[in-house]
Amino acid sequence: MEHRLANTSHLTLNQKKFIETALLADLRTDGRRPFDYRNLTIKFGKEEGSAEVQLGQTHVMAIITAQLVQPYRDRPNDGTLSIFTEFSPMADPSFEPGRPGESAVELGRVIDRGLRESRAVDTESLCVLSGKLVWAIRVDLHILDNGGNLIDAANIAALAALLTFWRPEISLGGQDSQEVTVHPPEEREPLHLIIHHLPIAVTFAFFNYESSVVIDPTHEEEAFMGGRMTATINANGDVCAIQKAGGEGVLQSVIMQCLRIASVKAGSMTEKIKKAVRFSLYETVFEYLSCSLSLEKDISALHNSGIIK
Amino acid sequence: MEYVSPEGLRLDGRRPMEMRQIRGEIGVVDKADGSAVFEMGNTKVIAAVYGPREVPNRSQQMNDRALVRCEYTMANFSTGDRMRKPKGDRRSTEISLVIRQTMEACIMTHLMPRTQIDIFVQVLQADGGKSRCLIAAIGTRSACINAATLALSDAGIPMRDLVTSCSAGYLNSTPLLDLNYVEDSAGGADVTLGIMPKLDKVTLLQMDAKLPLDIFENVMQLAIEGCKAVATYIRQVLLENTKQLEYRRGT
Amino acid sequence: MEEKPSGSPASFIDKPVIPGDVVLDLSDMTNQTIKLGGGLRQDFDSIVAMKAGTLRFTKPNKYWVETSQKRYVPCVGDSVLGIVADSRADNFLVDIKGPTLAYLPVLAFEGGTRRNIPKFEVGTLLYVRVVKANPGMNPELSCTDASGKAAEYGVLKDGYNFDCSTGLSRMLLRSPRCPVLEELGKKISFEIAVGLNGRVWVNAGSPSLIIVVSNAIMNSESLTGVQQRIMVDKLIQNLKLSS
Repeated sequence: MEHRLANTSHLTLNQKKFIETALLADLRTDGRRPFDYRNLTIKFGKEEGSAEVQLGQTHVMAIITAQLVQPYRDRPNDGTLSIFTEFSPMADPSFEPGRPGESAVELGRVIDRGLRESRAVDTESLCVLSGKLVWAIRVDLHILDNGGNLIDAANIAALAALLTFWRPEISLGGQDSQEVTVHPPEEREPLHLIIHHLPIAVTFAFFNYESSVVIDPTHEEEAFMGGRMTATINANGDVCAIQKAGGEGVLQSVIMQCLRIASVKAGSMTEKIKKAVRFSLYETVFEYLSCSLSLEKDISALHNSGIIK
Repeated sequence: MEYVSPEGLRLDGRRPMEMRQIRGEIGVVDKADGSAVFEMGNTKVIAAVYGPREVPNRSQQMNDRALVRCEYTMANFSTGDRMRKPKGDRRSTEISLVIRQTMEACIMTHLMPRTQIDIFVQVLQADGGKSRCLIAAIGTRSACINAATLALSDAGIPMRDLVTSCSAGYLNSTPLLDLNYVEDSAGGADVTLGIMPKLDKVTLLQMDAKLPLDIFENVMQLAIEGCKAVATYIRQVLLENTKQLEYRRGT
Repeated sequence: MEEKPSGSPASFIDKPVIPGDVVLDLSDMTNQTIKLGGGLRQDFDSIVAMKAGTLRFTKPNKYWVETSQKRYVPCVGDSVLGIVADSRADNFLVDIKGPTLAYLPVLAFEGGTRRNIPKFEVGTLLYVRVVKANPGMNPELSCTDASGKAAEYGVLKDGYNFDCSTGLSRMLLRSPRCPVLEELGKKISFEIAVGLNGRVWVNAGSPSLIIVVSNAIMNSESLTGVQQRIMVDKLIQNLKLSS
């Protein structure tokens, strides 16, 4: 028992009381106001379809891969989307290696519901041969540092990665178009996934018997919160998923208020993600250009004209 | 596909605001400290509660409150086709988590420190077809929570209030109360709600598929009405039971 | 640091060292006793650094490597902030961010007898002194100073505590007072307890003041004196604007 006590992070009664008292005055320990998000940075990897998100101290990475598989019997014309989460023990002393714990499963299911059941990712366009061959898109979420609010950060990472993922083009040939050829990217331009809308997850934490509500709780706030609710909303105001799995009871009016706030936050978050994706595309275009031009001469010409530094 | 006919009847003949037949019974598992069976339409769930009892793994016990554990399983035979993995898959894990956190919010755990309360929930019959038994699992959440509430009351575990649960959806532009399996798998919205009726507070809220915000409000309101109806029924069952006990004691 | 260690200790004092650096050559220093503090080990005739940090020297003959870490190495005589993790019959188990939990005997208080044992809930914050710290054993703490009086040791009530590195704690405790505390003290009146184990407790009149002080201290780790003053000024201005 002693070793289990020694390995968890210890929090004090002083911290608990202070967080609750400060919230009564609408203050949070890192100086934020109740409905402010922490600093968000989105970075993209060299590989297509990988994104790294840092939300305050929380660090999450998402990687997309695609494979050709047989479709489900009852959905012969739809591709599949599956989410896998990896809660690495390096991210938090309380994560244990091996099978995913309850919170890992919950995180995967919430993001899965937001992306798949709201039809954000178009699955019909992933069909190659009806009933025989479809694309299976796999989203792997790796938690690298748990600073609180993993769901929102992982959702942003998944969306950013999906937006920048390219899958190879397929052509059907042979007699009765049953022969499938997968074209490597050098031969034919790969394609983006068709994404209809961006479902943004906004997590609320309740304190003081629901008289205080905050957005984007830190690890410390999560330890003391009474209840939590994640609302997945897109910029059009459509509610895609809600997860309030028990915890402190809240009034219906408080829930509706939270949803309205989430709708506003979803709008600004969608803008941030789209901007980050656009910048990364500019960067890849530049790299592409600088490779296809004849090396030094043209690059120095670009240097001289001040287009690139 | 038409889920609501022009006359306003659903596929199983109900009106949009009508719930399925519900039935609850207490004291069905002899060995357990508390148990109950709850049926909602074709879904039948049994819940058994053991506790408060000693924590077998002393390193896990909490000094200031009781440890609540919950295990959700679907019986192998519950959906017609024998299932390979009735528990341990991700949907079961999430439902166990959801039920545990919902019940934990209403159990007065600080009155029973250093003990453990186990809630076992098993689905005996799931309203659903042979394939897609996992989808049928989702529709059983409400019945599980109602069964767990009855079982906890039967076990005499102190609770702040009952927790009752009901689902609602939105198909063919109509809010529908208490979805059955066909309506659930239609791809429209599915809102499952759990409330504490006397306190009038929402403790469980899960929703998937897309709904505009104002329509969601209507659907949630409908689900709350359903929960309150379930609460009335559960209260009745508990009162009946108490009267029976008094009668048998001869007072 | 590419030069061969010539054996004169002055070449490495107050300079950064890395594990494996040979900082002293004993063959040139016969008939001298040298005390080795943390971070140094003896390898036959040479003293080698084990940790990355700055080599320090105090007269007459003590050498050690000063490092800044998130984990604390318990050392006798240090005043630290501990959090109660559990209570047993004879001891409280207290977390001091060390390799193991520390024991605080239930009688280690001023005037402590079997009849007035304090009741500490899990999560209580204590200001304590390290009495025993042998490697491989749980350290022992006490809520009294060396003469048995309570001094300032004991429970810290209210306020807010946060974790920092051991280097930051030492900076906060040095005299003359470090710039961040000096600047804060000019405008805000607050109470602070600093544990050498990298834990700090702050209390002030209102939550907003506590938040400003905590954040100022947490941010000051990598800033120079001048930058610290500027940062504090900015934070206090924001505070005045919002109040």
